[in-house]
Amino acid sequence: MKGERLFQILGLVDPELIEEAVSVPAAPRRRTPWRAIAAAAACLVLVVGAGLGGRLLLAGGGSGSMAAGSDGAAAGGEAEESVTGDGITGGGGAATAFMSYAGPVFPLTTAEADTGLTAERTVTWDFAMGAYEDGSPRQWGAQVTDDYVLTNPTDSDITVTALYPFAGTLAGLGTIGTTVTVDGAETPYALHAGPYAGGFRDAGVDDGSTWNLSPPDSFDDYADLLESGAYLAQALGDSPSLDTPVTVYRFSDFAAPHDEYRAATQAVTLSIDPEETTILTYGFNGFSRDDDNAWQRYDYFVPDGVQAESDLKLLVVLGEDIGDYTLQGYADGGCDEPIDGVSCTVTREETTLDAVLSELCRAELANQRQTSQWPGLADLSLSLYQRAVTEAVLSSGALADTPADRYIDGRLDDFLWDVLVQERVLYLSFPVTVPAGGSVTVSASLWKAPSYDFGCSGSENVGLQGYDLATALGSNLVFTSQTAALTNAENIEIVRQNLGFDPANGVTEVILDPAEPHYYLEIRPLEG
Amino acid sequence: MEDARILDLYWARDQRAIDETGLKYGPFLSRTAGNILRDRSDAEECVNDTYLSAWNAIPPARPSAFRAWLGRVVRNLSLDRWKRDRAEKRGAGLEVLLGELEDCVPAPRGTERALEDREIADLISAFLRRLTKENRVIFLRRYWYGQTVVEIASDLNCGAGKVKSSLFRTRNALRNYLEQEGIAL
Repeated sequence: MKGERLFQILGLVDPELIEEAVSVPAAPRRRTPWRAIAAAAACLVLVVGAGLGGRLLLAGGGSGSMAAGSDGAAAGGEAEESVTGDGITGGGGAATAFMSYAGPVFPLTTAEADTGLTAERTVTWDFAMGAYEDGSPRQWGAQVTDDYVLTNPTDSDITVTALYPFAGTLAGLGTIGTTVTVDGAETPYALHAGPYAGGFRDAGVDDGSTWNLSPPDSFDDYADLLESGAYLAQALGDSPSLDTPVTVYRFSDFAAPHDEYRAATQAVTLSIDPEETTILTYGFNGFSRDDDNAWQRYDYFVPDGVQAESDLKLLVVLGEDIGDYTLQGYADGGCDEPIDGVSCTVTREETTLDAVLSELCRAELANQRQTSQWPGLADLSLSLYQRAVTEAVLSSGALADTPADRYIDGRLDDFLWDVLVQERVLYLSFPVTVPAGGSVTVSASLWKAPSYDFGCSGSENVGLQGYDLATALGSNLVFTSQTAALTNAENIEIVRQNLGFDPANGVTEVILDPAEPHYYLEIRPLEG
Repeated sequence: MEDARILDLYWARDQRAIDETGLKYGPFLSRTAGNILRDRSDAEECVNDTYLSAWNAIPPARPSAFRAWLGRVVRNLSLDRWKRDRAEKRGAGLEVLLGELEDCVPAPRGTERALEDREIADLISAFLRRLTKENRVIFLRRYWYGQTVVEIASDLNCGAGKVKSSLFRTRNALRNYLEQEGIAL
C-alpha cells in the first residue's frame, strides 16, 4: 500500500518542520469581550435615554468625551449619534480589541519643547477603492492625509525641527509610502526609527518564556510607549556602539559531493567555557550543545549554488577565543552519518562586533533586495538598519541583561530578520520655518493599514477594519482645533466609531475634542 | 529537565531517564499514538515500547532533536501496531488517513527513480519548506501527527473547511512535485 509507505517516509522529514508544526500558537482570541460590553452599555443607556424624552445617548465609558450633544460632536449640527451596521456607534472606550493592531495615526510634534507655535489639524481618511492583484476591486487600508496649519503669533520667525511619527516596520516602509509637503512643495526628510515597540511572550504555554514576539496590540500600548518622551529621545539620539572586540572564523571555498548527497552538511565541533566565551553565528543552519561539558556543534548545509543558502558563514567569538575545533562532513543536517569529501577554508580575524554587524547588514540588505517581497527595502539606509540590529542585540540578545529565549542560540540571522518585521514608531524629520505673524501648511501623507481580526478566527469582527487616531499623544504642539474627515465614504459602512461621522446624512467632517486622546473608526468595506 | 540532561541519564544507564522522558514527553507521545490508533490501551503500549526503544538505542544514539526522534519512534511503532490490529480485524483509525495519502502518490510511468526513503524524505522536506507556513503546519499535523481535521481546526482556531481545502491543495501539489521529481513509491 503506497499510502502506507508515504506515511513511513513522512516520518523521516526534517525534525525542524515536525517541531514547527506543533509549536505554532493558535491565532490569539480577542482578549476583551468589548462588543458584549458595548452592547450592554448601549442597552442600558437606551433605557435611560427613553426617560429623557427619547433622545438617544450612548455611554461614553473610559476616557471618551464624544457623547452626542457634547461640544465636540459632529460638525454640521445635525448629527446626533448615528446607529449603523449592527447598531453600535459612539461611546469612547468601546473600540474593538483587534487581533492585529496597526497603531494609531499620531500627531505632528517638534524636537523643541516650547515652540511658540499654534496648530490647526485636519486628518482625512481616504477610502478610495484599491485592487487585488488580479485587478478586481478591493477596499483595504486607507490613504491618510494629516494636514497642519502652523501659526506663529510672535514678531520673529520661528524655525523648528518638525517630527511626524507613524507606526510601522522597516520592511513595510515601501508600502506605507510617506510624503511630506510644506506649503504645497514636497520636502525631503530624514527618517529616524525607534526601537522595537513590543516585547516577547511564551510560545503558547504559559511558562514565562520569551520565545515569540509580542507586538503592541492596543492604543494604550502606544500611549505607554510615547508618553514620557524617552522613546522619541532614543530614536533621535546617537546610535549605540558595539566596539566589543571579537574573533571571527570565516568559512568559504565550500566543496561537497552534492551529486551523492543533496543535503551535505559541514559541522564544526568545539568546546568552550560558557562563562568566558559566547559564540554568535551567521549562515549556520543547526546547533547542538551539551551544557555539562560545554560541547557545542554548529552546522550548515554546504552551499551548492542551487539552494538559497548564504555563502557567508561566520562564527563570531566574544570573550575568550575558542581552542581547537573539528570539521566533519555529514550526509544531512541530522549529523548522524559522517561522509568524506566535504571541505572548506577557515580564516580567523580579529575585529569588532560593529564591523561584523555592518558586513552582515550590508549582505542581508543586498540579499533581501534581490529576493524580497518588500520593495521599500531598496530605500532603507544601511545605518538605520544596522542601528536597529545593534539595539536589538543589546536589548534582547547575548549582550542584554536578560536575553530573550528567542535568541539564546546566538543566531545573528534572527536579529537581521526580526528587526525588519518588528513594529516600531518611525519619525520623519524636516525643518520648518514659520514667519513672524504668519502661517505655514505642513502635510504628511501615508497609507495606513487597518487593524483587523484574522480571517480564519471565526470572530464576529472578521472583515472589519479599524483605524485609530491620537490627538495629542507625544506632541509638543498647542492645538487650537482638530478636525477629522472622510473621502470616498461611499465605499464603506461605518460599524463602530466615537467620531460622529454620518455619511448617509452628509456628515463626513467632524470637529474633534483635543482633550479626547483616542478616537476610533471601524468600517466594513462595501464591495461589488 | 533539558533534553541534554535526559540524554546524559540514558548514557549513564540511569533508569531515571525513562521517568524524565515520560514526564516531559509522555503526553505528546500518547497523543501521537492515540491519533493514529484511536485506541487508548494500544496507544499506551506503543508509548511504553517507545521508552524501551529509547533505552536500547541511547547510547550509542544521541538525538539532536529528541522530541522529533521520539515522535518518529512512536509513530513507526503505532503503524506496526495498526497493521497487526488490522490483520486481526481491529481498528480503523489509520485507514482514512492512509487513503488520503494515496492521493499524493503519482501514477507510475516507468521512468521513475527508485530512491531510499531518506532521500525521498529530504525531497519532501524541501517541498514542505516551499509551502506557506500555515499549509505546512496543517499538512504535518494531519499526516505526521495524525490529528483529525476537527482537531487541527480547533488548535489553529480556524474552520474545518479551511483545513480540508488546505490538505486537498497540498496533497495535489505533493503529487505533482513527486511526479516532476520522477519519484516512484
